[in-house]
Amino acid sequence: MAPAIEGMVPAIESSEGNNKMNKGYQYPSWKKKLRGLVVDNEELCRIVEKGIMGLCGVETQAVETGEAAVELIASGATFDIIVIDRFLPSMTGPETARKMREMGVESKIIGLFALYFEGDEEEFVAAGVDDFKEKPLSPNWLVPMLRELDN
Amino acid sequence: MERNHLPRHLVLQRQSLFDQGLLDEQFIQLEELQDDANPNFVEEVVTSYYQNTSTLIVIIEQALGTSPLDFNKLDGYMYQLKGSSSSFGAKKVKADCTLFREYCKAGNVEGCMRTFQQLKKEYASLKRKLEAYFQLARQARVTGTASRPK
Repeated sequence: MAPAIEGMVPAIESSEGNNKMNKGYQYPSWKKKLRGLVVDNEELCRIVEKGIMGLCGVETQAVETGEAAVELIASGATFDIIVIDRFLPSMTGPETARKMREMGVESKIIGLFALYFEGDEEEFVAAGVDDFKEKPLSPNWLVPMLRELDN
Repeated sequence: MERNHLPRHLVLQRQSLFDQGLLDEQFIQLEELQDDANPNFVEEVVTSYYQNTSTLIVIIEQALGTSPLDFNKLDGYMYQLKGSSSSFGAKKVKADCTLFREYCKAGNVEGCMRTFQQLKKEYASLKRKLEAYFQLARQARVTGTASRPK
């Protein structure tokens, strides 16, 4: 069986093709086609964040740098939700968020961080993010936000 | 196989991972996301985690062998490790990353060294336990398929 998420190391092949592992909670189908963007330099975080958003029904792209995210938007891509890590290689998370807002992006932008540095929240908020959250990106946190976006 | 129909030994094994404080709510939420189309999401995440972070662990160990310690660099490495560890709910490893970070901020070399040794143990222990759990879970699914009426 191919990995569920592109870029993931596949688990050992399961012999059954019709696994009936139960989902404990059925996420709603969205009325709109929700699109998301993950901006995270750390590979596993990027893969998991994209995977979680995808499994929550958001068609998601993932990039490693702020520059790549800005380029995507400049090329005309639009997103309903954008999550940006605090630490990106050259253009920081807050700088990326600020640039997006300057470009007229009105999407929900969430700043993510793994370890808190003093001033981070203020910097992200000043850059125009809608929320600032410690990792991980969790489905229980994400779904109510998606519900809002869908309405 | 529905989680509430898992063999008892698997249920107990899974529960022990939470009772021992090794995993947190994030792991449960990721399991909840799994469905027929993506039945192995969590296992894939964990497998990728250990593949991606094994080099980072070596790099941190090497960095701790230099003198004087570059606490800024170590802080950066911990940022990566904590972010990855939190992605699937590795609670104890995450906590050790936070503690290591506190020692970095304080410039406490001994604290960093001690915490890193602890972190490595938790990291390795979690890997063994999750590998065993996933293997049993796969066997249980196969057994469940085999016993379904045709």
